[in-house]
Amino acid sequence: MSTEEIDPTKEVNRIYVESTIIMTTVRLVVPFVFAYGLFVMFHGADSAGGGFQGGVIVAASILLVGFAFGIDATRIWISELLTRMAIVTGGTIFVLIGIGSVLNGGAFLDYSAYGLDKTGIKYIIEIIELAIGAIVSGVLIGLFFTLAKGDMRSGEDEQKSAESGQDQEATS
Amino acid sequence: MLVTITLQAVLFLALFIALVAVALRDVLNSIIAFAVFSFAVAITWVLFAAPDVALTEAAVGAGITTILFLVTIARTVRPSSEELFESIGWRGGVLAVALMGLLVVTVPSLPAIGSTSAPIATAELTNYYLENADTETGVKNVVTAILVAYRGFDTLGEATVVITAGLAALIVLRQETFL
Repeated sequence: MSTEEIDPTKEVNRIYVESTIIMTTVRLVVPFVFAYGLFVMFHGADSAGGGFQGGVIVAASILLVGFAFGIDATRIWISELLTRMAIVTGGTIFVLIGIGSVLNGGAFLDYSAYGLDKTGIKYIIEIIELAIGAIVSGVLIGLFFTLAKGDMRSGEDEQKSAESGQDQEATS
Repeated sequence: MLVTITLQAVLFLALFIALVAVALRDVLNSIIAFAVFSFAVAITWVLFAAPDVALTEAAVGAGITTILFLVTIARTVRPSSEELFESIGWRGGVLAVALMGLLVVTVPSLPAIGSTSAPIATAELTNYYLENADTETGVKNVVTAILVAYRGFDTLGEATVVITAGLAALIVLRQETFL
């Protein structure tokens, strides 16, 4: 697909334009959204929430960064390795906790086999919530950046691809 | 009383917005209407005292899904027509009304909202969870206790579904680069 075939009006929408207002707002809001996501994960044991909801909120905070600072730049900053690691680590922790209870003489995922009091069991549940959160946020961040790859390019990339006559996706 | 009035207003809004989302011609407008619909449904869950479900609906339905839809339609072409609403064919309309009628028929068999004689309220299992969740797991939110402790195996399956579906989608979307 060469650049000449692409509808020029559509291409304008795709170029990333720095906006001071959006960047400042996002820089202010993101730490709070991220912290709220972690709170929902941790505090799911005692109030509404849990790993699934918290993971989505954490992912949303990263997507905000993507919208403000350019999707390709954020994709490189967050690195695909990190999202993949989050997914795999989360799943592994959950399974290992299950296997650990079998090794301690209980049933699979039977937390009482660890011989802890109820506060200890609560911490195991919270570790699992965190693991679920890592899976969910990893999958959502990965999906978003894979879907949005190539959208909102920076102006320099645009010139480069116009000069070489090649599509950005082919070169990256 | 106030809750009932609010609930009716929110449900009416949800119904109206759902119809708007179906009828709008431009997909971008439909997606925005759909986000509003999800938010109205989230408020409904809050009014039904189900904050866990409400949080999920607001975060997933109104939040992330909308963004993923937006990213996806950015790659499509807008319809050239200037009409605001899509014309709906009679076949589709009849089918939709028939399906809705079928669903409405089942509504009277549901227990009343907040009914103490509903099967879920009288079940032995429900009361066991409510009485023992705190002492057995140390978790005050019974929903979390059931999800992660009593039904931990189901949740592990759920997490596996998220991992598998996510990885499958990522592999398909990456096309030529598989690593």
